Amino acid sequence: MPLPEFLAELDALAQQAVAAFEAAGDAEALEAARVQFLGAKSGQLKAVQKGLGKIGKADKPAAGKQFNETKKRIEAAQAAAVERLARGAGPSEETTGFDPTVPGIRPRLGRLHPITQTIEELKDIMGRLGFSVAEGPEVEDQWHNFEALNIPAAHPARDPLDNFYLATAEKTAAVPSRKAWLLRSQTSTVQIRVMEQTSPPVRIISLGRVYRPDTADATHYPMFHQIEGLLVDHHVTMADLKSVLRLFARSFFEDDVHIRFRPSFFPFTEPSVEVDMSWQGGWIEIAGAGMVDPDVLRAVGYDPEQVTGFAFGVGIERICMGRHGIDDIREFYKNDVRFLRQF
Amino acid sequence: MIVSWNWLKQYVPLTMPVEELQRRLMMAGLNHEGTEEVGGDLAIDLEVTSNRPDCLGHLGIAREVSVLWGSTLTIPPAQPPEGKTPVDELVKVRVDCPDLCYRYTARVIRGVKIGPSPSWMVRRLDTLGITAVNNVVDISNYVLMECGQPLHTFDFARLGGREIIVRRPQPGEAIEAIDHKTYPLGPDTCVIADARDPVAIGGVMGGAQTEISEKTTDVLIEAADFDPISIRNTARTLNLHSDSSYRFERRVDTENLDWASRRCCELILELAGGELAAGVVDVGSSAARREPIVLRLAQLKRVLGIEVPPQRVREILVALGNEEIRQDRETIEVRPPSWRRDLGREIDLVEEVARIHGYDEIPEDVGVPMVPSARRREDRVVEKARQVLTAVGFDEAVTSSMVEERMAGVFSPWTDAAPLRSLTAALRGADRLRTSLVPSLLMARRANEALANVEIELFEIARVYLPRKKLPDEQPMLCLTSGRDYLAVRGVIEGVVASLCPAVRLEATDGGLELLDPAQSCKLLLDGELLGYVGRLTDAGLGQFELRAPATVAEVKLSLLFRAAQLVPRHVPQPPYPALTRDLNLVVDEAIRFADVAATVQANCGKFFEDLAYIDTYRDPQRLGPGKKSLLLSITLRSKDGTMTNQQADELRDQIVAACGAQHGAELR
Repeated sequence: MPLPEFLAELDALAQQAVAAFEAAGDAEALEAARVQFLGAKSGQLKAVQKGLGKIGKADKPAAGKQFNETKKRIEAAQAAAVERLARGAGPSEETTGFDPTVPGIRPRLGRLHPITQTIEELKDIMGRLGFSVAEGPEVEDQWHNFEALNIPAAHPARDPLDNFYLATAEKTAAVPSRKAWLLRSQTSTVQIRVMEQTSPPVRIISLGRVYRPDTADATHYPMFHQIEGLLVDHHVTMADLKSVLRLFARSFFEDDVHIRFRPSFFPFTEPSVEVDMSWQGGWIEIAGAGMVDPDVLRAVGYDPEQVTGFAFGVGIERICMGRHGIDDIREFYKNDVRFLRQF
Repeated sequence: MIVSWNWLKQYVPLTMPVEELQRRLMMAGLNHEGTEEVGGDLAIDLEVTSNRPDCLGHLGIAREVSVLWGSTLTIPPAQPPEGKTPVDELVKVRVDCPDLCYRYTARVIRGVKIGPSPSWMVRRLDTLGITAVNNVVDISNYVLMECGQPLHTFDFARLGGREIIVRRPQPGEAIEAIDHKTYPLGPDTCVIADARDPVAIGGVMGGAQTEISEKTTDVLIEAADFDPISIRNTARTLNLHSDSSYRFERRVDTENLDWASRRCCELILELAGGELAAGVVDVGSSAARREPIVLRLAQLKRVLGIEVPPQRVREILVALGNEEIRQDRETIEVRPPSWRRDLGREIDLVEEVARIHGYDEIPEDVGVPMVPSARRREDRVVEKARQVLTAVGFDEAVTSSMVEERMAGVFSPWTDAAPLRSLTAALRGADRLRTSLVPSLLMARRANEALANVEIELFEIARVYLPRKKLPDEQPMLCLTSGRDYLAVRGVIEGVVASLCPAVRLEATDGGLELLDPAQSCKLLLDGELLGYVGRLTDAGLGQFELRAPATVAEVKLSLLFRAAQLVPRHVPQPPYPALTRDLNLVVDEAIRFADVAATVQANCGKFFEDLAYIDTYRDPQRLGPGKKSLLLSITLRSKDGTMTNQQADELRDQIVAACGAQHGAELR
């Protein structure tokens, strides 16, 4: 290509480009001009540059110099346009049509059920106190739900009307047999299963769903959740029980609370106590507890002369209701998303 | 158990304020439920645990008070004057069912005058909420509430054959009770009969025929001990719960029958007159003598964690009615009283000492040794899954494990077996143990639709109960229900899986599940094993659950994820060179599946493969031809050895297109 032709092409390009940048009225037009003239892949300047290779050797320095000047000119025009637009985009013009009170676009975040949140917190606290989580079946045999827990055949707690016995295949009668399975009525069944399979020391919490055929009302539901702690070892005493429960309560309620025991009765612990915690000048009940009954230790093959243990149980719904101010247990199981999304 | 303050005072000094009495009784095991003032008296409601039937009378409570305050307990001697006629000349008693009635005693008083009770007795019964009837009936109630032993009085003249037979009912037998309702008598009911007919449902309710009336002159006084299970079943079956049945269910003190009978007679003679026949008819066995219990004093420290002085231990046990047999420096041996069946073992005595000595003595700040605890794999997997699900907008639901039969049958992809059935329904006929969470979540969805809640994005993590010979297979499941479409929900499951085990092969095959749209559902396989399914409900599926808006469900077996999860990912160094992307628009026959094309694409990328994304499927018979579709994919390529050039990427693309052409008949569009 002859030099004059190349220089003319450069000149024309420069004029066109400068005009385009000067004319650009907004960011979009500016960008279009940039791509058209300065685009790295298919900008016109790039295209012209290819022509540079076809210039004769003698003319090359002049052509190169002119090309560089043209490039500078176009880039300067672009810079000027950028500055002009930036200046022009002063507050008065840009805020027109802008409303800072319009909310952000929020992703929909899901919530965990309050029962889960309570369970996770209890697990976390008890984990820090050295208790590992254990789980077991919800459908149980009568050995684990009753006999091993010191609840003999004639005990009222085994009444068919107070338990969810399962129908057996061969028998459709309304009266459950001794072999009939049932939905566990407490998570202590898990303690039995763990002790049957593990030698002392044992330091676990068992938790999960439990079932009792209560008529649903504000404080009862035929299904609820329990968490039970069990510690069996040499030299475990009620003082340990009280101290662990206090550590637990102080962690969960974030206050320097005190623990009080009141005598009570559970078949699987002896002595048995209700556990109160000092709260706002009074006492509130937080758990049932006691020392594992020697007969229970014997039932799982432990020697009560060698080891002692304590156990405690907390109703999760109750603790969760108190914590969040929920006044009807049935709310937990309606799964109304308006309820769930509060937690 | 409601206790009258004035009445209690008769047996033990009450020098303390009532609040103090309530507090200390509570701390000794009698929970205070409330106190009401009734006509100048106080009705104190105490909760008595089922192991302490001895506290179901004023004397039992008075004994606790006397132990706590170290005061004297005064028990009326109950020594009524007897006439000359021996009672066994007047009445015969036979017990045909000693398994239902352990002991039966009868006394007879002739010549009573039925009338109103004196005001002091009326007032005391009134404090307890018992309405006075007449002097004889009131006295039996009074003695019941005094010592906890239920009594029954019969109009002796109306007892056929002057005979009491304690027996099982004959088939079809019924009785008209004092409430004038007729009750059928089941085979294991303990019936009190005269020579001909039932006259009372033993331990539960008297009969109308022999009820004490104004015309009654002769009275038979029954004090008996019935089998608690039989009483409980009868009371429940007939829905006849009374103060009597409540006490028999918890066992009465067999050794106290005679005292209660004498006490009743003493009061009848005093308030209604008459003459008491000499002696008592006493059929059945008295309780076996209680075995002694040895308490090793060291056990107190071992169990309670505190020392209790031996002298204090002795005081407590003796005051509670235990007979001291022997004490040395290390042990104390006692024989428990007849009214404390709950005391039979050393540990029972430890509890007695503890509750009287006071649980407040036990410290709450001893150092419990630290031990490590590890979180279970299952818990960590579930936590991760929950994090992902909440992050993508799902709320967690908790639904009942039991569903109605109809719902249980609608959807059961994990088993063909009939669900386990409970003999009792939990709620509204829900008696089947669910084999899938889907029906429960769809019902929750319907409940939300009924409230016009718009975004119903729910998940639940819970077990299903798959029947087998042994205890059921309780499989933890993750279930979702969503208003999003099939691919979006499937993507959520893929996201959960990818966050837990990115390296494990996740494949999909045709769904083929009832209620799910075959063109918008699939089964997911994790490393070749069935992980679960995802799908859009068909109109019929929506109809089953009365849902209005489209819904997609997914259910995944968590045990596979528990196994496959890589909870501690390993770091893989990333090459420091930029990636290149290439889009591929491949026209293939409808029968060709994305997964096969994707496998070819990946195989041909070789070591440059970084990612393959599915963008869309495009169908247009006119442009693509009938039976054709266009798969749009995007591949990301990167070299580990240096910056990849466009030329390399283009060559690779051409190679991929050629391979897809050869293997799948694909053409670049």
